[in-house]
Amino acid sequence: MSGSVSIGFEGVAKRYDARVIFKGVSGDAVPGRILVITGPNGSGKSTLVRILCGLARPTVGRIEWRLGREPPMARDEWRRHLGVVAPAMSVYEELTAMENLQFFARVRGLGPMEPRCRECLEQVGLDPDRQTQVMGFSTGMVQRLKIAQAMLHDPPVLMFDEPGSNLDPTGQDWLEGFTRSAADDGRTIVLATNDRCEMTWGDDRVELAG
Amino acid sequence: MSNWLAELTAVFVKDLRAEFRTKVSLNAVGLFALTTLAAVSYTIGPYRIAEADRPFLLGALLWIVIFFASMAGLDRSFVKEEETHTAALLRLAAHPLVVWAGKLLFNLVLLIVLMAILVPLYCVLMGYRVESPWWFLAVLATGGYTLAVTTTMVAAIIARAMSRGALFSVLSLPLLLPLLIFVIQGTTAASQGEVDGVLSTLRAVISLGGIMTVLSVFLFPVVWND
Repeated sequence: MSGSVSIGFEGVAKRYDARVIFKGVSGDAVPGRILVITGPNGSGKSTLVRILCGLARPTVGRIEWRLGREPPMARDEWRRHLGVVAPAMSVYEELTAMENLQFFARVRGLGPMEPRCRECLEQVGLDPDRQTQVMGFSTGMVQRLKIAQAMLHDPPVLMFDEPGSNLDPTGQDWLEGFTRSAADDGRTIVLATNDRCEMTWGDDRVELAG
Repeated sequence: MSNWLAELTAVFVKDLRAEFRTKVSLNAVGLFALTTLAAVSYTIGPYRIAEADRPFLLGALLWIVIFFASMAGLDRSFVKEEETHTAALLRLAAHPLVVWAGKLLFNLVLLIVLMAILVPLYCVLMGYRVESPWWFLAVLATGGYTLAVTTTMVAAIIARAMSRGALFSVLSLPLLLPLLIFVIQGTTAASQGEVDGVLSTLRAVISLGGIMTVLSVFLFPVVWND
């Protein structure tokens, strides 16, 4: 892990044309704690996650990522410290699970990292030697692969948008244990969810009005 | 191998692997090229054009086939990333220029494969004689690179647009029209063995390719990230 990263956001609003998705949203995601973002359908949870990741810009508001006590990072540096799992962020279905992880390791400049890829796949309960393309996976297996992809580079920040969706009860239990232990290791966790059980994992909460 | 080169190779190999498994672009480009070539060779053939008009008309027809066949498949690499929702993770994992260079390399390889099959077939079926084959290859190479670099950039722009349908051809046409005119003139000159004509074409095409490359390096990160 590349150090502790905290994320502060203040007065964040997002508007598409005349439609206001949310406004005046503030919060802090700090190392060792789980920040839960909740709200009804259409309240902008996924949009807020995309904004916090740097994949979208807020209409107004300030977002700061800080490594330890250093000054705020430039936006294009955020991605190095971040692992994300979200429904609208897919892996490559023409590749196998191992090929997917090795691709993401290579484009992150980490090399093929075969042992680390194997370790991540085994950790989420997928067989690293399975030669099936992802298009042949169940939705639960794809979700597990997405989680493996998020933890591949051992990032200090993990953002999960509905991470338990499509996971079986065993998978959900594993996810809870993984999320809590990641926070205990000093990682910053942001969790956007409507699931009552997942909401209870949080230490802090941001509620979007909808 | 430097990190940057390894990363762009990873993007290229990933696209190549996915293409070999689905064959979407290969089929689109190949089918269009072969259908057009068959139609042109059947309806016009090697003998229905007057000898004096052959170098120019056959050069023009060759580039029209290459141009429209490439329009059928070169936009896929970016559009597919958006349609299958893989673009967001790629944005987070890779540097924008690595993505651009990897996609450009993939489009170049696709175009080289297309030309390697299409051009000899065209020459045989249409009875197209080329006096200066090396200059002819130089026009094909520089024209192919400029075509690939322009379509890669346009594909990145239209992949972010809501209605993609005909946008690729509509945006590409004004950008590629000067290129088409130059390469047709250069191909005609090469087929007649006029080195001066080829050289002036090469200067223009290399300039166009250089401008599009520099523009892409500056524009792509903005288009890709915002």
